[in-house]
Amino acid sequence: MTDEIKESAVAYSELVKNFEKIRAYIREFYVYGFKNRSEYSARSARSYDDERRRIESWLGDYMRFTQTVEGKNVFLSVDSRATKHNPFYKAWKAKSFTDKDITLHFLIFDILSSPDIRKTLSELVEEMDRYLCQFKEPMTFDESTVRKKLKEYAEEGIVRMEKEGRKVLYSCAPDTDISNLADMIDFFSEVAPCGVVGSFLQDRLKPHQDIFSFKHHYITQAIDSDILAQLFEAIHEKRYITVDNLGKRFSEPRTVRLVPLKIYISAQNGRQNLIAFHEKANRLNAYRLDYMSDIRLEEVCAKFDALRTAINKVEKHMWGVNCRWSLRHLEHVEFEVKVEDDEQHIVRRLEREKRCGTVERIDEHHYRYAADVFDTNEMLPWIRTFISRITRMNFSNRTAENKFKDDIREMYRMYDIDGGDGQ
Amino acid sequence: MIFSELYSVYYNTVAKILTRALEPDVTEKDLQQLVVDHAFSESILTILPALKSGKWPLLKDDLTPVVNQAPTMPLTLLGKRWMKAIAEDPRIRLFGAQLPGLEGVEPLFTRDDYKIYDQYADGDPFEDETYIRHFRLILSAIKENRAVKITLVNRHGKEVRVRFYPKGFEYSLKDDKIRILATGCRFRQFNLGRVICCEYYTGTGPWRERPKAERRKDLTLLITDKRNALERSMLHFAHFEKRAERIDDEHYILRLKYYENDETEMVIRILSFGPYVKVVEPESFVKLIKERLLSQKSCELR
Repeated sequence: MTDEIKESAVAYSELVKNFEKIRAYIREFYVYGFKNRSEYSARSARSYDDERRRIESWLGDYMRFTQTVEGKNVFLSVDSRATKHNPFYKAWKAKSFTDKDITLHFLIFDILSSPDIRKTLSELVEEMDRYLCQFKEPMTFDESTVRKKLKEYAEEGIVRMEKEGRKVLYSCAPDTDISNLADMIDFFSEVAPCGVVGSFLQDRLKPHQDIFSFKHHYITQAIDSDILAQLFEAIHEKRYITVDNLGKRFSEPRTVRLVPLKIYISAQNGRQNLIAFHEKANRLNAYRLDYMSDIRLEEVCAKFDALRTAINKVEKHMWGVNCRWSLRHLEHVEFEVKVEDDEQHIVRRLEREKRCGTVERIDEHHYRYAADVFDTNEMLPWIRTFISRITRMNFSNRTAENKFKDDIREMYRMYDIDGGDGQ
Repeated sequence: MIFSELYSVYYNTVAKILTRALEPDVTEKDLQQLVVDHAFSESILTILPALKSGKWPLLKDDLTPVVNQAPTMPLTLLGKRWMKAIAEDPRIRLFGAQLPGLEGVEPLFTRDDYKIYDQYADGDPFEDETYIRHFRLILSAIKENRAVKITLVNRHGKEVRVRFYPKGFEYSLKDDKIRILATGCRFRQFNLGRVICCEYYTGTGPWRERPKAERRKDLTLLITDKRNALERSMLHFAHFEKRAERIDDEHYILRLKYYENDETEMVIRILSFGPYVKVVEPESFVKLIKERLLSQKSCELR
């Protein structure tokens, strides 16, 4: 039994070994936040209390409580326009470690304090003993423990291993000066994929003025950073993956085998989707990253490049994330809006917000939008934003068109517009 | 891959403690303050006790460290790979920085690996030399606390001249635009992309004008959880300060605070949910939705 496991069995710690559990709680507290303690029944009450306490320890400034008849609710509330750094990055800085891990870490880099200092394993162990003999009951390290840690650090790129004859010499990797990149790192740590890595870099910088703030800033994706990084790795290496996926229709995750092709990120709701080829079903599907866990990289996919080229061809018919290989079943969407003389901003809206399709002026006061897409339903929320000026519509998917019109009638009823008796 | 103790608050805080402990006359209170300032709220119960007790044998009884120099750690491969990836981003040209030591490093992702699929198409020209020059001048002005004067084209297509103190930038991923945050004039912000001329202002005040503080307003929504509306709306409105409450198995109340200047945007965002999100309060906002619906009704859509 490791020190770490022993510790967790006996005492609460702010730190965690596995991010998966905490990921689920943060999401619940932040996105929903209306559940009370008893509703987290899938997990034990002790587990709930520990996770809540941890999240409060990391994100206390954003934690709120409400008392309802059903009990006390805990939730996270963040105005991301007012915070200059994504608070959820803190959760990625709470990994547990053993007493030996932290001791080794600081001793290794004190002994190997510059890249020109090269030591063998036994020299390192001897020097560590000299550091530690100053304590009453000195901690000791055997060579295999130190070798394992050095190998791990070599994989992280912070230690170099060089063979000289039969000896292996260890040194620290040359450092990279990022001190003049503070503004750039601040910006991209909030707007680039896997921005948490930028936050790790920020921790290395001296305190400085925060220049940037962010509007329409979705911060939830931070908790899926590791999933995203692993998917990028799989895409980079053109590999199959197997992944546990909690689909819409299932209460338990199912394992699927996929060829990951591209990540689709929304700037309007923060969702991240993987567009992937499901070989067994011969389908192109979208998978939400926040529903994924336990990604395993597998063998290289020989047809990755062909699949990637093929997806580039179908993209121009995707409004959201739904897509297919075949263009045979595209749905035609067409609607017209009235635009008064002083409303040219509406035309600009159509032009900048359309992701595909065309905008055409029909007469002095009317414009037509038309597109052929895989899924009309994905477009409905956008078309609804033009409510107040839609004069005509023609969808080849009649069900979607009827649904749209029914929804408008329902809204008339909801808001008691003229008795809500339809159009 | 990302979840590693190498990046942990604890390692970073211990590095700060050991650095401080190398200085003469350090007190336990000084070290405690470092934990308060840099670690989590309950870390005070763990970090210093572990160091003082010899559990983590890095600090001696007299609070001197066992290490001989301030701890450092080279940049990890993950950090380098991320920097290499952002080096491909067109927005990096704003900063004019040369990214060091990345030869032979594979990027963590490339621009072909992802797509922001619902970003507006009229984003700022991040690679335009004039735009970059304006950005950098204003960045310098922010850091040096200097005033600037700019000429910009306003939303009505007219040229306007303004002098002000720039205080920061605000970027929207959805709009793909940078706005300059201002003080010393009556406007709160300017679109950087609309600026056509920009230089330091060398005259003197007066600087009596201040932009009005942006008011936040309360909004209460009733969500009907059909067609996954609960999850969609909770995610969509996640970036606001908000509170949710369950009414019954199908209905939820969402209370949020939005910025007054974004009211029109909020109206259309709520309309996008159709009948599944209804505005409950305030009445003035309900009226805005009703006006849109009345106007729609007059369109006689069949």
